[in-house]
Amino acid sequence: MCIGCGLLVLVILALIAVTMTRKAWPALSHDGLRFFTSQRWAPNVEAFGSLAFVYGTLVTAVIALALAVPVSVGIALYLSDLAPRRLRGPVGSLVDLLAAVPSVVYGLWGVIVLAPWLSGVYDRISDVTSPIPILSTLFAGPSKGRGLFTAGIILALMITPIVTSITKEVFDTVPRAQKEAAYALGATRWEMIRAAIFPHSRAGMVGAVMLGLGRAMGETIAAALVIGSSPQITANLFRSGDSMAAVIANQFGEAGGLHASALIALGVELFALTIIVNVIARAIVGRRLRRA
Amino acid sequence: MSTTTLLSRNLSRSRRFKNRVATAGVWLSVVVAAVPLLFVIAYLVQKGAEVVDWDFLTQDIPIISRLPGPGMGPAVLGTLLITGAATAMAVPLGVLAAVYLNEYGKKRRLANFVRFLSDVMAGVPSIVMGLFIYTVWVLNFGQSGFAGALALGCLMLPIVIRSAETALQLVPNELREASAALGARTSRTTLTVVIPAALSGLVSGALLAVARAAGETAPLLFTIGTVTAANPDLFDGANTALSTQIFKNATQPFEAPIQRAWGAALTLILLVFILTAVARLAARRFTLRS
Amino acid sequence: MVMGVEQQRRKPYLVLAPFVAVALLASACGGGDGAAGGGAGGGAGKEAPIRATLNAAGATFPNAFYEVAIAGYKQVQPGVTVNYAATGSGTGRQRLQDGVVDFAGSDGLVAAADVPKYKGEFVYIPTVAAPITVSYNLSGVSDLTLDADTIAKVFSRQIKTWNDPAITALNPGKNLPATAITVAHRSDGSGTTENFTKYLVAAAPNSWSLKSGSTVEWPADTQAGNGNQGVAQIVKSTAGGVGYVDLSDAKASGLQFAKVRNRSGNAVLPTVEAASAALAGVTINDDLSYNPLNADGADAYPITAPTWILVYKNQTDQAKGAAIKSFLRYVLGDAQKQAKAVDYASLPSGLQQKALAKVDSIVVPA
Repeated sequence: MCIGCGLLVLVILALIAVTMTRKAWPALSHDGLRFFTSQRWAPNVEAFGSLAFVYGTLVTAVIALALAVPVSVGIALYLSDLAPRRLRGPVGSLVDLLAAVPSVVYGLWGVIVLAPWLSGVYDRISDVTSPIPILSTLFAGPSKGRGLFTAGIILALMITPIVTSITKEVFDTVPRAQKEAAYALGATRWEMIRAAIFPHSRAGMVGAVMLGLGRAMGETIAAALVIGSSPQITANLFRSGDSMAAVIANQFGEAGGLHASALIALGVELFALTIIVNVIARAIVGRRLRRA
Repeated sequence: MSTTTLLSRNLSRSRRFKNRVATAGVWLSVVVAAVPLLFVIAYLVQKGAEVVDWDFLTQDIPIISRLPGPGMGPAVLGTLLITGAATAMAVPLGVLAAVYLNEYGKKRRLANFVRFLSDVMAGVPSIVMGLFIYTVWVLNFGQSGFAGALALGCLMLPIVIRSAETALQLVPNELREASAALGARTSRTTLTVVIPAALSGLVSGALLAVARAAGETAPLLFTIGTVTAANPDLFDGANTALSTQIFKNATQPFEAPIQRAWGAALTLILLVFILTAVARLAARRFTLRS
Repeated sequence: MVMGVEQQRRKPYLVLAPFVAVALLASACGGGDGAAGGGAGGGAGKEAPIRATLNAAGATFPNAFYEVAIAGYKQVQPGVTVNYAATGSGTGRQRLQDGVVDFAGSDGLVAAADVPKYKGEFVYIPTVAAPITVSYNLSGVSDLTLDADTIAKVFSRQIKTWNDPAITALNPGKNLPATAITVAHRSDGSGTTENFTKYLVAAAPNSWSLKSGSTVEWPADTQAGNGNQGVAQIVKSTAGGVGYVDLSDAKASGLQFAKVRNRSGNAVLPTVEAASAALAGVTINDDLSYNPLNADGADAYPITAPTWILVYKNQTDQAKGAAIKSFLRYVLGDAQKQAKAVDYASLPSGLQQKALAKVDSIVVPA
């Protein structure tokens, strides 16, 4: 029976893959390989190219992970080791509250409050970085606040609870004996963490990060509201962009025929992308574990 | 002599420095997470608190949205029913799948494959889940709260599986070995020893999934339709939920629907948070201590 | 003997089964509609009371009007519940095609290639029309006049500042500042975008090259907002902003509208009356499709958008079919009087009569 439940995941995924690919087929056969290599997305002339969206999805997901993972690991460490007993409850509740906020609220707050405020912040940052070579391309202004980086921030807020919660559970699995052994050898707290907690938790942390990454890549409405909806491949992170999930959310309501099929094809492509990213991540971690 | 004095006498400056920086970093990360959350909650409370009262939670949704007045009753009922049904499907199935992965499958190829698939499923965009259920269920059986529950359940499943597996790993092997020594089969051990011991972790993971499901809009857009009067029937007829109402109303240019939207958002957060607190308390009471 | 023991253990669960079954049956039967029949609503003495639930989906553009119509209709037929989900014209048509909804709202017509995919013959019922405003944010400048070519050039970023000669030529005597123009458009697919761009294709073919559609390839240096409200928000908060917003949302956001030069050369404000003037002179096809964009007429507002309800001609369910016909008659009858209050133009009487005749042609099983 338990194997059955495990295989249920396979069945559902296979069904998703099959039904969605069938619906996506008209668009895929219409555009062929151009669907994956072209930047141009123009539904009204039936030109569908997904490259700009793939770029936006990957960039926002990377930004979200870069922001969320350190913070999540920090909070998880806090909850499992550093926090005084009294503070564990409230901080745990903080994480629960972060998870309880609906994704649409994050998106709305992002576009109403955060984006306008960030617009000023971005302008100041771009003033500071303009003389520095690489940073000036990454963080150029002026900006209205809605763009790739803002979307990354909102996504980071949303994936922090998941990554924190699972990472904390993983940290709790570290045997006490190992922690005490590190201390007995004269380690500082940070050295104990590096010597006892991190090595033990590597695989679990990767799992937590994978879940967070999945959420970041697949988040629909919140991203759609703050990403700027301007499909372009730009190195400037403060600029508007677009992601696969966001464009599906934005355009599906009015799409018919080939346009709708193309949007579903984007969904299938996102699905495939998630698989590829997972495979690569597992390969990297697997190699590390074997080396250790 | 205290440990810290001992340590500080014998530590090199660079080790002490790294330790301080790391500790500061950990505290900073808590602050970094807390600050935006406080802003979001403050904004919500400011916009929606005055609207939430008993009438708001029970009265029908006004058909003409620009008119002021309560309520969000049908949405509250819809969220409870739909998220409840999704939880009832996803949590048992997910926990059982995690049991398979941790107790039976372990490192075998099939188990690794299932783990991999579960992570992939976590990356399916919520809107694609909605479309998927539309294609396989709604086209045949029409819009209903249950269709929405199916879509949300599919979203919840990978989260439950991954977090439940971690929780099960937390249970020390000595417990399993002791149970086996007494002659219990794996299924018995799991049911009577491992799961009770992992209960608080299992509940944590389930709550994460429930929180996610309660706040999702996109999968419901294709599956439940909309209503203005409460529909207690999960299997027949369109329904509505707090998350879809929030999006629909917050994007109107009139003050009345905007207030109702934020009131609904506040209600949803409170619902999920209270559920989380209650469930954690209950888990702590019933969990098996080692 | 082993079987006996297992049977004994299984019994407790079997006891629960009938209770579960009863509970499921009860909930399945319990989901009925609110008020008991009886046409207690005013003035509906002619119609027998109907009990049905109608599910619909479609365009967001006429949503405010449909809300008023549904609320009013509830007084006439309390036993009928109409649920209209404003998800977009595209999904509305798709759901009607799939048979998931009973009727669909659409700002555009079904493409010829898609017609065979429907479950049967369907009809277009025009309901209302409304102007799409060109809203702007320029302090100290009121009564701005624009024409199709200028609008096309502004929105395609050929004109970048407010004191461009093309704009000043249309507004003699006004002091236009050198502020940069910020163009706001829709981030989501939209029937409003489709009608706005169709107007530009028809009225300014030499200046507008982006074609028409629910989304178009807007230039990269423009702003995108979600929904009419999102565009209105951008225009309102940006000095020098300009965007296309439907009248209802533009008014609610307190925006200023530009006058647009129509085909006769008159600069017309986007009002309900001007939209009605646009409807007055259009050619109506047999299937009740028509195009009020860039219409003839001295007082016509040139960017007036139409909308229809699509419904199957041959209904299969007696109660639902009767409810649909009754609701549509209400929409085309009493509800038209309430259109103006929510900033929609009611249909001219000729079109109204044709639409009612179309409703009558819907076949309901006895």
